[in-house]
Amino acid sequence: MVKVDGTAYFLRRFMPALQSLVSPTLEVEDKPLEGTPDFTAEAYKDAYSRINAIVIEGEQEAYSNYVSIAKMLPDEAEELNKLARMELKHMRGFTACGKNLGVEADLPFAKEFFSPLHGNFQKAFSEKKLTTCFLIQAILIEAFAISAYHVYIRVADPFAKKITEGVVQDEYLHLNYGQEWLKANLATCKQELMEANKANLPLIRSMLDQVAEDASELHMDKEELMEEFMIAYQDSLTEIGLDNREIARMALAAVV
Amino acid sequence: MFGLIGHSTSFEDAKRKAMELGYDHIAEGDLDVWCSAPPQLVEHVEVVSPAGKTIQGAYIDSCFVPEMLSRFKTARRKVLNAMELAQKKGINITALGGFTSIIFENFNLLQHQHVRNTILEWERFTTGNTHTAWVICRQLELNAPALGIDLKKARVAVVGASGDIGSAVCRWLSNRTGVAELFLVARQQKPLLDLQEQLGGGKILSLSEALPEADIVVWVASMPRTLEIDKTKLRSPCLMIDGGYPKNLDSKLAGTGVHVLKGGIVEFCSDIGWSMMELAEMEKPQRQMFACFAEAMLLEFENCHTNFSWGRNNITLEKMDFIGEASIRHGFSTLNLQSHYQAAIA
Repeated sequence: MVKVDGTAYFLRRFMPALQSLVSPTLEVEDKPLEGTPDFTAEAYKDAYSRINAIVIEGEQEAYSNYVSIAKMLPDEAEELNKLARMELKHMRGFTACGKNLGVEADLPFAKEFFSPLHGNFQKAFSEKKLTTCFLIQAILIEAFAISAYHVYIRVADPFAKKITEGVVQDEYLHLNYGQEWLKANLATCKQELMEANKANLPLIRSMLDQVAEDASELHMDKEELMEEFMIAYQDSLTEIGLDNREIARMALAAVV
Repeated sequence: MFGLIGHSTSFEDAKRKAMELGYDHIAEGDLDVWCSAPPQLVEHVEVVSPAGKTIQGAYIDSCFVPEMLSRFKTARRKVLNAMELAQKKGINITALGGFTSIIFENFNLLQHQHVRNTILEWERFTTGNTHTAWVICRQLELNAPALGIDLKKARVAVVGASGDIGSAVCRWLSNRTGVAELFLVARQQKPLLDLQEQLGGGKILSLSEALPEADIVVWVASMPRTLEIDKTKLRSPCLMIDGGYPKNLDSKLAGTGVHVLKGGIVEFCSDIGWSMMELAEMEKPQRQMFACFAEAMLLEFENCHTNFSWGRNNITLEKMDFIGEASIRHGFSTLNLQSHYQAAIA
């Protein structure tokens, strides 16, 4: 007798998973892939008070960051101030989302949450490091926002879903603005870009870790949030003109 | 441009390959890091057909590894994100290799056409199953006679007969090859009865009934985990074509009179300057590849930018003819039994 079980690498390692994969009991059309959260549950509202605050604070800081960048680039101030005003509109939209669910945003928590990144931006601004300012606000924060909004849209209440869908389109414009500037100046700003990445990408990672539990209450997986962020960030760096190896080196800062 | 979406055969292999390619951040990460890793376009290739046409292609690693099969959402995201990347890169036709098409089919990803800001255009993708089915049939037609099996008298068991590739193989065998008897084997009876009706023949048997009777066994399903095969009850000679994914008919099954052939593998007529087929453990990674990958190349050579193989049970004999003729014209041959049987095939 030849016992097939245990002889082949795949069979041994992966067949249980494969069998469950093809088992008719796992036909996905019968089961919702992600259940909709109970938007009225206390646990949901409690988590939402912090997530909502992060979003509101993020938009508020984005407003002031673009106003700061505009001061360093007077020729482009008009466009940058326009981008800044859009962030204020987003902030009002997200404030409405919280009110709609009867949740009061925990803004002190959000200020604390953003303080390391905010501090780095302020320091770069005071040193007139435009590349670092662009990387922090227009690339890292925008990619973080875009990825989180994409994940949120899939599990949001109908009101917030509509608002967020509108916001995410605007955020792409902001990301694009930063990308174009960095692309045009890549020859002179690459070194600073790498250094700014090294100092700030780990902050994004730790911000994700901090928010993971609350996000999970909103049915947003940490794994998915991280993946979405890495996709948006990688796409952005590719657009700026960095090659695969440079991007891989930069991404390492998110892991170690 | 054609595209191939593939993945490593194990987490360990994937880490090793990532290190070689300079993706240290992923290579050093644990499985959770890989679960969050974006798909990567790792290689561009150029392929020149003996018919004269040159095409460009790209290999995308989805960063999926089989260890993620039990993580339903992760596996789904890996496939959709890799497809989105292929589309964003403007690739005309991309083959879904390895577990990619299995996940697509079994997790019913047709309902997930929206990936972020992208609406996936299905016409840009192919499962490659038509070419795989044609290649398996051709492997059977070429190699059985080399073992002294007369196809006109042969009894052929198709294990996984009701699947997309399996049903196409059955149609071809009953219409084009004229085998003596066709045994239809699959887990679910209802699709088998439908297939039997379409074919106007074929005998529905259990695996244990079919194996001792078959001169040729075509496996297009993964073997059940607990399956035990009594080698002494198999016919001699017996040709076993392992056309499933992953290829899990172990060489131990081969013995006196039992010949195992890797099914659905093709060889190109010249070296392709790529490194990615090493991941698939091909014997000649510069030339050999899964037939499903080759289908994307063939469709690009033929300027046929459509989801040629898509859904279940849409593979017609005409489509198999088209892809088979293209396969030969553009320099592909099937993987055949080794050495001393080659003379007989030639």
